[in-house]
Amino acid sequence: MELEVETVIKIAAYTGSGIAMGLGAVGAAIGEGYTAARANLAVSRNPKISGDIFKNMLVGQAVAESASIFALVIAILLLFMDFASPSLLKAAAFLGAGLCMGFGAIGSGVGSGYPGGESCFGISQQPQAGSQLTTNMLIGSAVCQTPAIFSMVVALMLIFIDFGNAPLTPTWAAFVGAGLSMGLAAIGSGYGGGLAAGASCEGIARTPQAVTSVTTIMLVGQAVSQTPSIFGLLVSFILMFKTFPESSMLATPMALLGAGLCMGFGGIGPGIGNGMAAEGAVRWVARNVEHSNELMRIMLVGQAVSQSTAIYAMVVSLVLIFVV
Amino acid sequence: MGELGRLHQLIIPVFGHNITINLEVMVMTWIVFALLIVLGLFASHKRNILPRPIQALGELIVSLLYDLTEDALGEELAQKYAPLICALFMFLLLSNWLGIIPHLEEPTKDLNTTLGLGVMGFLIAHYAGIKSKGFKAYIKEYFQPIFFMMPLNLIGELAKIVSISFRLFGNIMGGSIIILVVSYLTYNLALPPFLYGFFGLFVGTIQAFVFTMLTVVYISVQVK
Repeated sequence: MELEVETVIKIAAYTGSGIAMGLGAVGAAIGEGYTAARANLAVSRNPKISGDIFKNMLVGQAVAESASIFALVIAILLLFMDFASPSLLKAAAFLGAGLCMGFGAIGSGVGSGYPGGESCFGISQQPQAGSQLTTNMLIGSAVCQTPAIFSMVVALMLIFIDFGNAPLTPTWAAFVGAGLSMGLAAIGSGYGGGLAAGASCEGIARTPQAVTSVTTIMLVGQAVSQTPSIFGLLVSFILMFKTFPESSMLATPMALLGAGLCMGFGGIGPGIGNGMAAEGAVRWVARNVEHSNELMRIMLVGQAVSQSTAIYAMVVSLVLIFVV
Repeated sequence: MGELGRLHQLIIPVFGHNITINLEVMVMTWIVFALLIVLGLFASHKRNILPRPIQALGELIVSLLYDLTEDALGEELAQKYAPLICALFMFLLLSNWLGIIPHLEEPTKDLNTTLGLGVMGFLIAHYAGIKSKGFKAYIKEYFQPIFFMMPLNLIGELAKIVSISFRLFGNIMGGSIIILVVSYLTYNLALPPFLYGFFGLFVGTIQAFVFTMLTVVYISVQVK
């Protein structure tokens, strides 16, 4: 059966849209459920302030929802936009955009449920620190969204940038690879950032006067646990904007696809691991504020070591792009 | 939508090579410099024991950042590096906020700015490390835990530059792309002001702080 170019593009856009929203719905729902579960626990511990807890829960869930709202935006764009330049490359770009946004929303959605839940629980234990907890939760879960925002940016670039007449054969793989690299790498970082933010809310509820050092270490820890997703962003930028010479061999596109998969999967573990390191540091800083410097140093060294696997993945995918 | 991923560049051919200058970014950077100098002049003008609001603001910023640096580096080194950290934070904060004003763009939206600042922080951190530990002990660190880990340690150090500069660049550029696309889709109705508030003010502040904190942390890891 022969397919027209426009039909292929339509197929790709619909598939991408389905993937984006289907996968994008996974993470945020889990995160919000966790927040609600912790809020129930909090209300049963301290029913007198159930109003405050309820409000805090709703705010936390609204922030956690934003990852899947990004996915919804991308899905709607893919469904309803009309595109002027019909070339087969656009089909690959749409598929890449859908994959990128779908996977990218998972981690941030799950992760930003943690600060919401922990801050609800913290309010029940330490009601007078309520406003500090809500502020910290907002900062923590907004920073958790960074990997999802990166994924959305890559998806929007794949959708809107006119790549002109780049050769079809290796470039389609580059676009799909770019989406996979960013989307998969965002999973671990989003989840890890959530772990750190959750621990910081718990810590502030325990020691409200330690709020400055806890928030600072949370931000540094989250920033470092986002590094794998930044490597994913770097690889997908290279895949999008490097011009590849036309080739009829199958090896070249597979190398580009492999580069995207390598960086994507390679970023999941380090993101979660770095988040765990940050979680530990933040949790213990709240209990032992005087030694926050030592704790931060141990956290950073530990994160640097667990990050090395992401660096191996990046080296291999750069070799796949530039050498093979 | 044609603006996406396009830059205004001045290309000067010199002896067969093209020198490319991102005009817009340079102008915006100079605007940030001018704002900072004006703010500094106002804050330090007619200093009094009873500070006027703007002097109080200046003192607040400087003392907060001095405290942060002192916590991480100790009193002695903080004297040396705190001015740098203050300047870095103020520059990044104003740069990230500049995009809220119509027709102005964030200089940090360009990778050249953030990469430059990242390389600067990296060089300063390593200079501080060599100075405090001595060259031999500094080189020795690369051969930890075993000698053949050297290339990987080296790549790990270089990856720090990539991560710190791409973090800021990705956040700011991502925010501006999302604002551009949403404004285009909603015909500039209703949503963009909230997005400017979130991406410009909120994310801008957090990312400026994170960049500054990471620079301090890199210095402190090298020194100790």
